[in-house]
Amino acid sequence: MTEPADAKAVRAAETAVAAEAPDGAGASIRAEHLVQRFGSGRGAVLAVDDVSFELDREPARIVSLVGQSGSGKSTIARQVLGLQRPTSGAVTYGGKDVLRLNRKQRSEFRRNVQPVFQDPYAIFNPFYRVDRVFWTAVRKLTDLPNKRAADEAIRDSLRAVKLQPESVLGRYPHQLSGGQRQRIMLARIHLLRPQFVIADEPTSMLDAQTRRGFLDILQDFRVRYGITTLFITHDLSSVHYLGGDIMVINKGRIVEQGAVAEVMAAPSHDYTRLLLASVPAPDPDQRWTERIDIGQIR
Amino acid sequence: MTTTLSAPKRTAGRLSLLRRSPKLTIGILLILLLVAIGLSAPLVAQAIGGGQDPTETAAFPRWLKPSGAHPLGTDQYGRDILVMVCRGVLVSLQIGAIAGLVSTVIGVIVAFVGGYLGGFVDTVLSFFTSILLVVPTFPLLITLSAYAKEVTLFEVGLMLSIFSWPFAARTIRSQVLTLRTRAYVDLAKTTNSRDLEIIFKELLPNLLPYVMVGFATSALGSIFGLIGLEVIGLGPAGVIDLGHLIFVAISTGALTLGAWPLFVVPIILLTALFAGLNLINIGLEEVYNPRLRSVSGV
Repeated sequence: MTEPADAKAVRAAETAVAAEAPDGAGASIRAEHLVQRFGSGRGAVLAVDDVSFELDREPARIVSLVGQSGSGKSTIARQVLGLQRPTSGAVTYGGKDVLRLNRKQRSEFRRNVQPVFQDPYAIFNPFYRVDRVFWTAVRKLTDLPNKRAADEAIRDSLRAVKLQPESVLGRYPHQLSGGQRQRIMLARIHLLRPQFVIADEPTSMLDAQTRRGFLDILQDFRVRYGITTLFITHDLSSVHYLGGDIMVINKGRIVEQGAVAEVMAAPSHDYTRLLLASVPAPDPDQRWTERIDIGQIR
Repeated sequence: MTTTLSAPKRTAGRLSLLRRSPKLTIGILLILLLVAIGLSAPLVAQAIGGGQDPTETAAFPRWLKPSGAHPLGTDQYGRDILVMVCRGVLVSLQIGAIAGLVSTVIGVIVAFVGGYLGGFVDTVLSFFTSILLVVPTFPLLITLSAYAKEVTLFEVGLMLSIFSWPFAARTIRSQVLTLRTRAYVDLAKTTNSRDLEIIFKELLPNLLPYVMVGFATSALGSIFGLIGLEVIGLGPAGVIDLGHLIFVAISTGALTLGAWPLFVVPIILLTALFAGLNLINIGLEEVYNPRLRSVSGV
């Protein structure tokens, strides 16, 4: 069968882009048998228990990691970002352990894997104006040719997340609201255009309206820039809104995974059913009647 | 999107902040006044001695009352008290500066290395710091001074700083332990910042008030230490500081002989020195901690 001319052109363009892409472009993140134990002896806590998964660059998607507080979600995020050395197992990027990268590889990893953290109040160093978050990123992780180009890129990024540059630049973090601060982190993502975003409960401290705006931007980034996001949350309504894939984690173990629509329609694990049953409905007549002993769920 | 809390004061620089902190201004003025008093010693000596050293034994008659020629009178050896006070202030300031600087540098290095790296290094450094904290330093100083009668001013400062850095180290380390887990430190790591950059650019600026408090505490402790040695007559020979003057006043019964300036003036100047350094501490906290600045429009 002969290939259509426009499809040939698309493939040729993709090949050209791939040829120009830096080392690590198209690489995937693999979590391989991650275990994280805190403390030792009787007081030891098993936060992550043999967790494995893969985040692909293409096609870009949103993978939600869902579980209750203390289930090990944030520990996994830190392991994936190379901020936490696992007790055993490894996180690889492009086939290389993220904790054993050489200088160039680490730079490439940092350029392509970026976080959005939970607490919009703690992300900013209170000593500096918020601009510094952008300028440090520009200096360390981009190839923008000069200050003028960088300034323009920063302003474009702020506009892309619906912030007025003049309303945030030059201010100290304490002069901005939580929603503004979290959007600034998204603007930073927009500026850097990484391949992967590790978003650790980024919406947990935002109001409903701001949360929706935030989720829309994440979707927009996936569609426009092909950014794959590991979205860590305990909020199933956000997961449902985002779609994509879901991994349900309980007591440090992934107990169920699949497409969001499928898992939510027919959960196979008791814990997933519990999570779904625990989503509050905006109906004053609807109340939880069944008591579930979470300790019984494995 | 929520509204911005306050308008930035972009034109307001550090100097205006300094001006807007009355405590810092008063503290700096007090210390500058003391420095001026110390630096004026040669001029005062020239004016009073007329080419002759007014602090030489029998330069003038003994126990002269305050007068135009000798504003603070003379002591039992016929030395001019005003000139001795001016020189004593300078020596006390130098001792404080040398010991404060050396002990702050040691304390900051120990605190940052131990607090940031953690693990075995931190355990060893903390153990060493704790030992020095619980060792009674004054008896050790007395012992040391017995072996160090002919020492330079710098050596005295070094001797005193040996015992005054642990407080700064302990205080700063506890803050490093808190700050190193902040999200903005993690963000700096994911922006490919090196450990030294994180220490100097992320952590140190936030700890400047603590560093200054460490400096002031060490300086005060060292000045106190030397005064303590001088008052009991164990100070290093050839070093005439404010403590030595108090020792002379006590040992010769200056108060009962009506030579009150020999006792009262050094006490007033020491009080001004302590007040000045403490006001600088408090003022710096206001200047360097943006959260303590007034937030307009809230």
